[in-house]
Amino acid sequence: MSSYTEEFESKQKPADYYAKLYEELERINEKFNAFNVLVKATGNGMPFSVKDNICVRGIETTASSKILKGYIPPFNATVVDRIIRTGRFSLIGKTNMDEFGFGSFGINCDKPAKNPLDEGRVPGGSSSGAAVATALLKYHVAIAESTGGSISAPAAFCGVVGFTPTYSVLSRYGLIDYANSLDKIGFMARSADDIKIMLDITKGLDKRDSTSSSKPIHRVKHNNLIIIKELMDKVEDGIKSEFYKFTDKLKGLGYNIKTVDFRDIELSIPSYYLIAMSEASTNLAKFTGFKYGFKVEDFSKNYNDFFTEARDKFGEEAKRRIILGTFIRSASVRDKYYLKSLSIRRWMIDKLSMLLKDAFIISPTMPILPPKIEDANRMTPVQNYASDILTIPANLGGFPHISIPFSYSGELPLSAQVIGSHFNDYGVISFASDWEKNFKYKFKYNLGDL
Amino acid sequence: MKIGLEVHVALPTRSKLFCGCSTAETQEPNVNVCPICMGFPGSKPSLNESAIIIAKSIADALKCKIKDKISFVRKVYFYPDLPKSFQITQLQDSIGMEGELTLDSGKSIRIRRVQIEEDPAKIIRGEDHSLIDFNRAGIPLVEIVTEPDIADKDELKSFIFVLKAILYYIGVDIDREIKADLNISLGKERVEIKNVTGTKNLIEAADYEIKRQGELIKMGIEPIKETRSYDERTRTTASSREKETDEEYGYIYEPDLTEYDVKRYPVKTSINPVQKAKELALKHSYSENSILEAIAFDRQALETIEENQDKFEFKTLMQAINEIKRFKVGKLDDESLRMLIDEIAGGFQIDEDVIKSVIEHKKVEHNRVSSSELDRQIREFIDKDRRIIDRYKKNKKLVDYVAGEIIKRYKAQPKEVLKRAKEILDSLVK
Ligand SMILES: [Zn+2]
Repeated sequence: MSSYTEEFESKQKPADYYAKLYEELERINEKFNAFNVLVKATGNGMPFSVKDNICVRGIETTASSKILKGYIPPFNATVVDRIIRTGRFSLIGKTNMDEFGFGSFGINCDKPAKNPLDEGRVPGGSSSGAAVATALLKYHVAIAESTGGSISAPAAFCGVVGFTPTYSVLSRYGLIDYANSLDKIGFMARSADDIKIMLDITKGLDKRDSTSSSKPIHRVKHNNLIIIKELMDKVEDGIKSEFYKFTDKLKGLGYNIKTVDFRDIELSIPSYYLIAMSEASTNLAKFTGFKYGFKVEDFSKNYNDFFTEARDKFGEEAKRRIILGTFIRSASVRDKYYLKSLSIRRWMIDKLSMLLKDAFIISPTMPILPPKIEDANRMTPVQNYASDILTIPANLGGFPHISIPFSYSGELPLSAQVIGSHFNDYGVISFASDWEKNFKYKFKYNLGDL
Repeated sequence: MKIGLEVHVALPTRSKLFCGCSTAETQEPNVNVCPICMGFPGSKPSLNESAIIIAKSIADALKCKIKDKISFVRKVYFYPDLPKSFQITQLQDSIGMEGELTLDSGKSIRIRRVQIEEDPAKIIRGEDHSLIDFNRAGIPLVEIVTEPDIADKDELKSFIFVLKAILYYIGVDIDREIKADLNISLGKERVEIKNVTGTKNLIEAADYEIKRQGELIKMGIEPIKETRSYDERTRTTASSREKETDEEYGYIYEPDLTEYDVKRYPVKTSINPVQKAKELALKHSYSENSILEAIAFDRQALETIEENQDKFEFKTLMQAINEIKRFKVGKLDDESLRMLIDEIAGGFQIDEDVIKSVIEHKKVEHNRVSSSELDRQIREFIDKDRRIIDRYKKNKKLVDYVAGEIIKRYKAQPKEVLKRAKEILDSLVK
């Protein structure tokens, strides 16, 4: 085991370690906007952060939305509870994100986070702050969340390890929902071993989340790696050639690489977005401005005007998804959009499960390098959604996957994503762990070093 | 005429449908609440499985096909009484489908669906403001949807009576008023009267609406498809002036809940009091209506009848049941019941004193008078008003009046009084 957590635990810490760290983070956060809230840590545990759509009792939790400004949850998310209960971790803050998780680049919020490796570029989203914090801090683990790629994408763009478990392995209690049937809490860290520590602590059945599972997770290591041709077709040439160098290296390490066809895999994009927007538009219905978060002052208004005033606080992408989602659910098109998307998801799960029976699926994590901020802002929603093609299949099917850096293009990392079969969470983590024995990740910042 | 109903019934669970909050009725508003039933961001529902057991029992009692697997949906609409702006309810995968309820007349009303759902909060309207009490938000309900098979007001009454009796035997608190939407169409189009509370209002609303539509049709006007509401004070219905588009609720599966395997849950064996009354009436050649009236909302009465029907004369047993109900003394033990039945069989008046003695197993005291004293009393009574003799000549039933007066005065042994009064009157007539 070579985890930063255990290294941190074994080291002598100065008495003012957390106070200094807090000051340092306050300063650097001015520049990178990694945190929505910084917390003065208590205890003497490994620093950890929580994505701002996951509830921490007594600390403002807004999911980077103005409509939730001032929402202080009266309870902890189950995952947060389980981590705190070990006494091994100290909370340092709530991390920035695309509003409610709606975005692939981290730009859909008031104060977008910036990529520490190149401030002119996006950090990836929606768990932008979690990735930036992991890239900045030497000793730190992040609780993040992925619906369609919100862990893999920013982990890849910031050059850290990002893990998304099998759907149902981690309780979602305390997560502010984006799309409940797709949302998965997961982790980012600087090593696969740190992720395993987090998973061991947090996994398993939770009575408060009916979709959580008591099934044991396993560790099956496969020597067979599958590349899906149709996915590679979407990858930028520069990244593609570097990726093939990586797979050659893997061959040298004893892996068998096979390329297969998967016709219509791109149907996962519309299927994913239709389901996600349908569910999101119902989840966002509760924000009407009178019980929590932003509150409308004028109670003389009639109810329609009252909640319309509140709902004006949603950002543009949130409004887009509410409108599209509401349309998709309407009686006249529900069959052809919502229900059909559900059947595509079932079909996708069956097909991928077959492939994953005795292999991992491997691909670059993102088809592009982190775009410049102004380029990302110019992209149309459809271009935006298309950039998720590599992360969506695993997310749509609820398969465990991990994103790991495999090379660097200048300062910028290139990352690969490895997908395993349902409940083979330890399998994909140990693949990453093995890779780390042959490849050393580069980190530009090491705040809080000892 | 076609009448259909959507009846909402609160289930007798101790906690709410998706959280641990109490369902007990309380005067203080907003005390039985938590992040889940208030819909706080991050909270999630977890199903109270006792609601499945009760709903399954109701579906079973209404002879529904019980689904093996059920799921829930989100019904989305904006209203301040709805904490999440959607209601968790059921649709195609409702717990019960295609059942029936047989009225006491023997006619059967088809049940389309029995579904589980959560109650919204309660809105209390003031002069210039409204208040919301979330104690009610998340209380488990079943909605029972009928086909439009009810043909008139009497059948509607009968339907509600039988339904309530069945629900009573499943343990539903029928003192909590039922809420229902009422569909009535005398013409081609369906008129829906929403949110009528209580049996009395339901019948009155139907009554008014039947007359209203009837008069329109008489004048050659076809009633239009619309939603109306019932006003308790004026006992009339009025158009709610809602847009007459089909309702758009944007249903999706509730993604925070999984499928539930209904086979895993037991059914509380239900009793159909209408059926029971029929069986007992047939067996004992007794009035079905009287039996139904005695047992419809009285489990103890039914138990007493079933346990004792072969021990006593049935008519006397039924009289005893009615006395027990009249004095509200619950269920009597075997000895008390036997004593009470002896009193009734002996023809004695039952009053508080008798009931008290019976319950305490003490011998019931009567004013025993000697035969000669009894004769003297009867003769004295007749002497005071000699016209009694003439009237007795014309109508022999007058003896009941004479005996009754004597019994009232002296609490004497009724059978003997009657016998002596008859003998004396007969002798006087000659
Ligand atoms: Zn509650």
